[in-house]
Amino acid sequence: MIKAENLKKRYGNIVALDDVSFEVDKGETFGLLGPNGAGKTTTIQVLCGLLKLDGGAVELDGKRDPSLVEVRLSLGVVPQALAIYEELSAEENLRFFGRMYGLSGRKLKERLRSCLELAGLRKRSKERVSKYSGGMKRRLNMVCSFLHEPPLLLLDEPTVGVDPQSRNLIFDTIEDMKKQGRTIIYTTHYMEEAQRLCDRVAILDHGRILDMDSVENLIVKHGGPSHIEAEFEERVSDLDRIKPFIEDKNVQFEEDKVRFATSQPMESLAMLNRSGVRFRSLKVQTANLEDVFLTEA
Amino acid sequence: MKKVLFLAVKDLRVLLSDKGNIFWVFGFPVLFALFFGVLYAGAGDGPSGMKIGVVDEDKSEFSGSYISKLESDEALEIVHLSREDAIEQVRKGKISAAVILKEGFGEGFEALFNSDDPRLEVAADPSHRMESGYLQGLLAKAQFEALGDKFIDRNWMRDQVNLWRDELENANDLDAEQAELYLNFMDSFDTLLKDANEEGFNLGFDGDILNFAKMDVSREYEGPITPFQVTFPQVLLWGFLMCTATFAISIVKERTNGTFDRLRIGPLGYAHILGGKGLACFLTCILIICILFFGGKAIFKLPIGSLPLFIPAVFCTILCFVGLMMFICTLGRTEQSVGAAGWAILMIMGMFGGAMMPLAFMPSWLRAFSHFSPVKWGILALEGAIWRDFRFTEMISPCLVLLAIGLTFFSLGVFMLRRQEN
Repeated sequence: MIKAENLKKRYGNIVALDDVSFEVDKGETFGLLGPNGAGKTTTIQVLCGLLKLDGGAVELDGKRDPSLVEVRLSLGVVPQALAIYEELSAEENLRFFGRMYGLSGRKLKERLRSCLELAGLRKRSKERVSKYSGGMKRRLNMVCSFLHEPPLLLLDEPTVGVDPQSRNLIFDTIEDMKKQGRTIIYTTHYMEEAQRLCDRVAILDHGRILDMDSVENLIVKHGGPSHIEAEFEERVSDLDRIKPFIEDKNVQFEEDKVRFATSQPMESLAMLNRSGVRFRSLKVQTANLEDVFLTEA
Repeated sequence: MKKVLFLAVKDLRVLLSDKGNIFWVFGFPVLFALFFGVLYAGAGDGPSGMKIGVVDEDKSEFSGSYISKLESDEALEIVHLSREDAIEQVRKGKISAAVILKEGFGEGFEALFNSDDPRLEVAADPSHRMESGYLQGLLAKAQFEALGDKFIDRNWMRDQVNLWRDELENANDLDAEQAELYLNFMDSFDTLLKDANEEGFNLGFDGDILNFAKMDVSREYEGPITPFQVTFPQVLLWGFLMCTATFAISIVKERTNGTFDRLRIGPLGYAHILGGKGLACFLTCILIICILFFGGKAIFKLPIGSLPLFIPAVFCTILCFVGLMMFICTLGRTEQSVGAAGWAILMIMGMFGGAMMPLAFMPSWLRAFSHFSPVKWGILALEGAIWRDFRFTEMISPCLVLLAIGLTFFSLGVFMLRRQEN
């Protein structure tokens, strides 16, 4: 559905994209994860045709020219910066952008209502956007791109600077889009967002893709072992029998507590349980994308 | 085309949502029109004359007659002052010049034509050379008119002849033959003054001396003329300048706000987006014209000399400023830089083009610069249709210049905008 082949882009001496390649299948949610300046926004701008490439090619739904009207009609882009008219109301903004995408009459009315509902702005739809909170503006900024129901969505850090409530609403909306089978590219520097929303993630830094895989595989490959922290009813010194079950050479023993790393946390726990110890508390900390990112970047 | 219209309507909505914009684009030109219209209207039916101070130190019958001749000239506005006050007021610029009639001014021809001891002094600001020259002409005219009155006074003329006779008899530098010739002429002239019948004598000096026919070319057309008719083109140009600056800034605002990119991502061509902006600017200018036109009709009874010429003049002027708007929006990447650059350019154009001060008041070297300002061509086209009674062929040249300027700047603007976006 979306194909990026050896994308190259420079701004003077600065390399923004250095041979970036990836493919996104239909219905897949693909994450571009990286710090500020990694090249995420440049990738989005190149994909939607806002920036000219210095090298490489982009293919959207089998077409190589993003400026084609049929490609643009199938594309919904949520820009990182707010791109709405603050002097107008939410309804006026949506109506205007809807008309730009050729919507009119009943269809426009229906989409307008649906998008206002989706953004949670129905009650304040006639108020000027300048009076909205940051979160409300973000939500409006997002739904303006969903008006024409595009099958391809490019979301460039849509949750930057929003309150937790709005953030959850945005997540719910994107998950809803996923369920509808839309193909999504989602850029973020928040690991938990990529982990929650994306099927696959590319870790981008200094314009290069460091690795790309499913979230689980990335964690397995780069996230390191899981950590188990267990508190016992007895003192550890009396529990010599558990020591053979712990592989980690850096195991930390305290009075009634043990902390160790394991690549197979469930099996380690089962073995500990079989040794007959009585647990007071048990904490299993698995690796996440943050660990992957910190290892890779 | 529908999309261009939607874009233009959106821009108008955005424009009208800001009270500041409404004031500067629509309110300011209206206030400008009202202010100058009332100002000129208060000055009477026509322009006021040159204000000069007159000092009568002679206080003779002839000096009184001379001053009344000056007062009757509509090109002058006379105030009676003392010598000190008159010179002080010239120095302060309150009056254009002071005319001092020195003692002995009315003592016949001798006093009037004595170049060694002139009895008429003119004190004027040296920076107003043109006005000073004009004044000297008017003073000479009044002098001849006052003399004309004296020529009818036979007794005064015979006294003058006797004086000249005495001078001839006492002249040492004339030989006897020449002296006799002149004395015979004086005798014959005195006989004429004594014996000619009243009717025939007066007939010879009937009418004004040094008079000429005046034709006010600005009032050729038949119908009422109001001061607003003269200020209307300037007011319209101010409206267009405001509109140009506002829309140039609005394009940059769209670029910095990201809405320009959102539009570019949509199923629109560059032509749609820029066409929408141009159309919005065009419609706003039309709105300004409508407000001023109907307001002018209602308040100042504004007459338009030729409506069929007024319409193309307006269209060409607006198209020129739409093109200019497109160029100005590329002069910076922020609202501040475009605002500053835009106003600097537009103010200079307005200044040299006659939007601030009528071109007629400018020195000729400065007037030469006005050819480079579209404001000058706009005002010329509008004046041509409103009160200059231009023929169709005369209207072609300013309209073509306006269209050429507009097209050049529009193309340049679009080229630079596309370059900046990539």
